[in-house]
Amino acid sequence: MNSPSAPLWQKNPALAWREIDGETVIISPGDSVMHELNDTGSFIWKHVDGQRTAAEIAALLRSEYIVTSEIALADTEALLEELAGQRLVVLAANGSAGDSSR
Amino acid sequence: MSTAAAPTPVMDRLIARTVRRHRPLSVHFDLTYRCNERCVHCYLDHEDHGELSTAEVLHVLEELAGAGTLFLTFSGGEIFLRPDLFEILDAARRLHFDVSLKTNALLITAERAAHLHELGVRRVQISVYSDKPAVHDAVTKIPGSLGRTLAAVPLLLRTGILVKFACPLMTQNLGDYRGVLALAERLGVGYVFDLTITPMMDGNEGPLALRATTGQLMTILQDPVLNPCRAPAAAAQASPAADAPVSALGSAVSSGIESSAYEDIPCSAGHNSCYVSPYGDLYPCVQLPMAAGNLRRDRFRDIWEGSPALKRVRAVRESQMPVCSTCTIRAYCERCPGLALMEGGDLLGAYERACELAEQKARLAGVSDPVSALHLQQNGRSLSETEPPCGKLRTLEPSLV
Repeated sequence: MNSPSAPLWQKNPALAWREIDGETVIISPGDSVMHELNDTGSFIWKHVDGQRTAAEIAALLRSEYIVTSEIALADTEALLEELAGQRLVVLAANGSAGDSSR
Repeated sequence: MSTAAAPTPVMDRLIARTVRRHRPLSVHFDLTYRCNERCVHCYLDHEDHGELSTAEVLHVLEELAGAGTLFLTFSGGEIFLRPDLFEILDAARRLHFDVSLKTNALLITAERAAHLHELGVRRVQISVYSDKPAVHDAVTKIPGSLGRTLAAVPLLLRTGILVKFACPLMTQNLGDYRGVLALAERLGVGYVFDLTITPMMDGNEGPLALRATTGQLMTILQDPVLNPCRAPAAAAQASPAADAPVSALGSAVSSGIESSAYEDIPCSAGHNSCYVSPYGDLYPCVQLPMAAGNLRRDRFRDIWEGSPALKRVRAVRESQMPVCSTCTIRAYCERCPGLALMEGGDLLGAYERACELAEQKARLAGVSDPVSALHLQQNGRSLSETEPPCGKLRTLEPSLV
């Protein structure tokens, strides 16, 4: 299922964040900007742990919400891309699912 | 399926839902009352009556994280007198809190500043009373303290940590606020001026003698640099937008999180914020001495959800306050429930200082002969006997037609 080079993301350890009643608020320290994730965004955020690929997170999302595989994966990848663009998630030390170190 | 929400009004939404559901979004945690300064206006006794141990503090942090706290401010006393401070900060950041510190900065070295940054501390608020060493040091009673405090500022700034000066204004330093402002701007840090001088926590009213009179505060209240928006309508609709005018007058002890989302409640205390003392006592706010419970004895969640004191605070609505709800200059008032209790003896009541300041602010805003509801009562007049705001004459005596 995984592409050999599927990236593994982890939460940026410099962030402050909290899930409150199913919604997550994130503060990036450098610019003090606040970000907000809704319940599905929070679900994805919760499983961004440096161990799971987007496909694996999307599979978890599909088991929790009524959504097709395609939409679950597309939304997960889109959110991860957006989070990465704002450095809210960063590549895990082990890099990608295809890394021999994994 | 949308996953990310628009970032701009995040704070207002967050405040609205944490107030509605009573989630402890913001916590002020005093780690010690011990201090290496002896500020003349301080409300603390500087003694250690049995501070929480490191393990107890860490346990409280875990409880707060579980309850939904995001904004965590460590204060004192002087927090750098706790030898376990960095262990506590490390634990707090591992629990993903947004961590701010309040300190006099005397003990901040380059190494410590770098360590704070490394741990992810975002903001440091530093107490500065004047730009003049003689004035500042006379407040702290520590010779050389201003120089040592200011030496920490570039150490923090170069790491990227946000720095803000907090300057309580009293008779000793009233004339120096412009100097502090200029100093802050020169150094590139924020600032907040606080007109609040409170009784000591044991009820001793000694510090109140240091309060400037409302007449003495006129210069500050009408300074356009400190009060960019004086009109009450603008204040009530203040938005968190970056370009919104924000008054530099505020509270040096509160979280500083302001929002129109509080609507009919006096403030965040007990609704989505609280205070933890160095001994584990939980209060709605550092300025609201209604003990809700002790975290050595009880779980945070049990106190937060079950304390009669917190329930009482949460039941307060500004529209139901017997005196203040009838006040015609309420929009100019910055009444604090804690000060109402400490100074007026009534959580729901009006108190002299707030009424005086509201009258001054209303006068500056162009209100003709503003009189607070409390002063109307004291003068033996009822609201129904006053001229209505529309300017029409109201007959006080039965008219003979």
